[in-house]
Amino acid sequence: MSEQVDAAGGYRRASPWPVFVALGFALSELGIFVGLYPVAVGGLLLLAGSVAGILRESDYATDVWRPLAGLGVAFAVLGIAVVGTQVDPTTLDVLAVVSDPGGIVGRGLAIAGAGVILLVVGLVGYLLE
Amino acid sequence: MAGQQLALTVLMGLVLVGVAALLTRIEDWRRYTALAGGAVAVGEESGYGHREKPSGVIRWLTTVDHKDIGILYGVFALISLAVGGLMVMVMRFELLTPASDVISPQLYNAFLTSHGITMLFLFGTPIIAAFGNYFIPLLIGADDMAFPRINAIAFWLLPPGALLIWGGFLIPGIAPSQTSWTMYTPLSVEQAHLGADLMLLGLHLTGVSATMGAINFIVTIFTERGEDVNWANLDIFSWTMLTQSGIILFAFPLLGSAIVMLLLDRNLGTLFYAVGEGGGTILWQHLFWFFGHPEVYILVLPPMGLVSYILPRFAGRKLFGFKFVVYSTLAIGVLSFGVWAHHMFSTGIDPRLRASFMAVSLAIAVPSAVKTFNWITTMWNGRIKLAAPMLFCIGFVSNFIIGGVTGVFLASIPVDLVLHDTYYVVGHFHYIIMGAIAFAVFAGIYYWFPIFTGKMYQRTLAKWHFWLSMIGTNVTFFAMLLLGYMEMPRRYASYEFDPAVAPLDAITLLHQAATVGAVILLIGQIIFVWNVVQSWLEAPTLTDEDPWDLKNDGLFTREFGWNADRLALPDGGEEEAMADGGEAEADQ
Repeated sequence: MSEQVDAAGGYRRASPWPVFVALGFALSELGIFVGLYPVAVGGLLLLAGSVAGILRESDYATDVWRPLAGLGVAFAVLGIAVVGTQVDPTTLDVLAVVSDPGGIVGRGLAIAGAGVILLVVGLVGYLLE
Repeated sequence: MAGQQLALTVLMGLVLVGVAALLTRIEDWRRYTALAGGAVAVGEESGYGHREKPSGVIRWLTTVDHKDIGILYGVFALISLAVGGLMVMVMRFELLTPASDVISPQLYNAFLTSHGITMLFLFGTPIIAAFGNYFIPLLIGADDMAFPRINAIAFWLLPPGALLIWGGFLIPGIAPSQTSWTMYTPLSVEQAHLGADLMLLGLHLTGVSATMGAINFIVTIFTERGEDVNWANLDIFSWTMLTQSGIILFAFPLLGSAIVMLLLDRNLGTLFYAVGEGGGTILWQHLFWFFGHPEVYILVLPPMGLVSYILPRFAGRKLFGFKFVVYSTLAIGVLSFGVWAHHMFSTGIDPRLRASFMAVSLAIAVPSAVKTFNWITTMWNGRIKLAAPMLFCIGFVSNFIIGGVTGVFLASIPVDLVLHDTYYVVGHFHYIIMGAIAFAVFAGIYYWFPIFTGKMYQRTLAKWHFWLSMIGTNVTFFAMLLLGYMEMPRRYASYEFDPAVAPLDAITLLHQAATVGAVILLIGQIIFVWNVVQSWLEAPTLTDEDPWDLKNDGLFTREFGWNADRLALPDGGEEEAMADGGEAEADQ
């Protein structure tokens, strides 16, 4: 398969990314479900960074910035959707739930927060190059 | 609280900085900037060596080579086997006497839970992946797995999964999960232990890992076969791995979803399994066993493949009825999804449903019996060589017959209603899991030992290992079958009986027999570990390319051919410096 073959025609037999993809996935899951928000945000950043890295390494992406920003958008949308489930549909009072985040809202904000950080990093990286 | 959050935030920041620092050491970041700047030709190699593996720990952390990943899976699985085995030894000592006087009932319950999860998800599935990763590409003539990096991700999900599953024991101050491996609701929803959440998360990670691995095996076997390997001459082990991967693809995502729903019920107030709400408690059992029974075949099909592959080579004949062994594998793969409610005969589900599940459960015995008769017929009038792999294969067949026949009785509703939740069930499935699956694993390890170590194991120790395992298994688990007939219920740390039901002395004696059997098993496994470690480290390098004398019978196979090519290399087979283990160089 083309993705395995490097420019010299040999097979890549080592990659630093898989272990961090797995660690990022584990940390984000742990953080989100147990409610450890810093772990959730850090885990998502590690996951997205490693996914971007592995996509770049295997030539599925031409740089790391666009995958980072893309994952950032996805996480942000997901996080906002999670927060949205807790907003009262009659008043649409977003401030009320966000200013006092409990269980579900806190988790949604953590996901969205990680998404925003990734989006900013992706955009800045893309623009600076 | 705020202080804790701050500390966690700082800790996570340090982890991320540490990861970034580590990556700068092993990956050349300039590659990306140079590419984006367009100043350097596209595809220029990064500073990190790809044609050769790095050395030391970094090699094992970064490898995407199927053979290395196979060894990682194997080491991980055997460590898990030791952990799960030591847990159950403590439980067996607890059961020596009727009173709960060795460990507390709570700790017993925690060990019970963790033993089951560890053996099924951290030993069983990974050890099969170990064989699959190392040998499937060699058997089908592929350069590597189809997705080497996904392969590595699948493995690296396991260690964090294991730490989470054992988290209740490892983290001071939190109680480990006591839900049993079946995690039945409402117990698993209401049990407040953080250890249960961690275990569920760990289990979810192992499920994701298994699914990624299965996708990889399916794609590899479909698309990466060598030119001379077609569906007609695909080996039996690859067939069973393919079928198993297909089952995983349908079963594990369902377990993942069910676990996420359970986690949501526990932490976020949903009511998927709440009593009287949503699906109710029985929904969990349906979802869990829709995964859980195929899981049995996920665990047993590749070991059956190993036995079908190895046994003929020590009988001097080809596998009898090869086609029918393949057909029966596929039949089991399909039927395995139609039997789940036989775990639920005593829950009060509709009797008409029960009858249909009984019918399918009895029917699935047919393809299993086809295989058994084929193994026996392969040995019939063969030139049997009783080397350690063959001993374990014969042990497999023998234990599988006892485990299988006891299972046929359990498939029958009236018998099940009597024996449900007794030690009979425990004895039945341990005959399969320890007596059959673990035996096939040992057969595989001994058979391919010359390939993955380049050495030969110590034959006398291997035979001690076999006989102690065979005797230990039968003493332990036959005693359990008898305990079941005497209505000893499962999952209890202590026991006492009304003399009108069963004599306590007899029950105690059988428990003591089971414990003695477990000790025999433990001694056997210590010998196994000693044998593997010492032989790997100290045995002389094996130069015989056909250590099992397969060529004489025309049973020499592709993976030993690959090994022979490796041995024939002028540099003595040092694989580190070669493209893909030496095939390329050997051909040049």
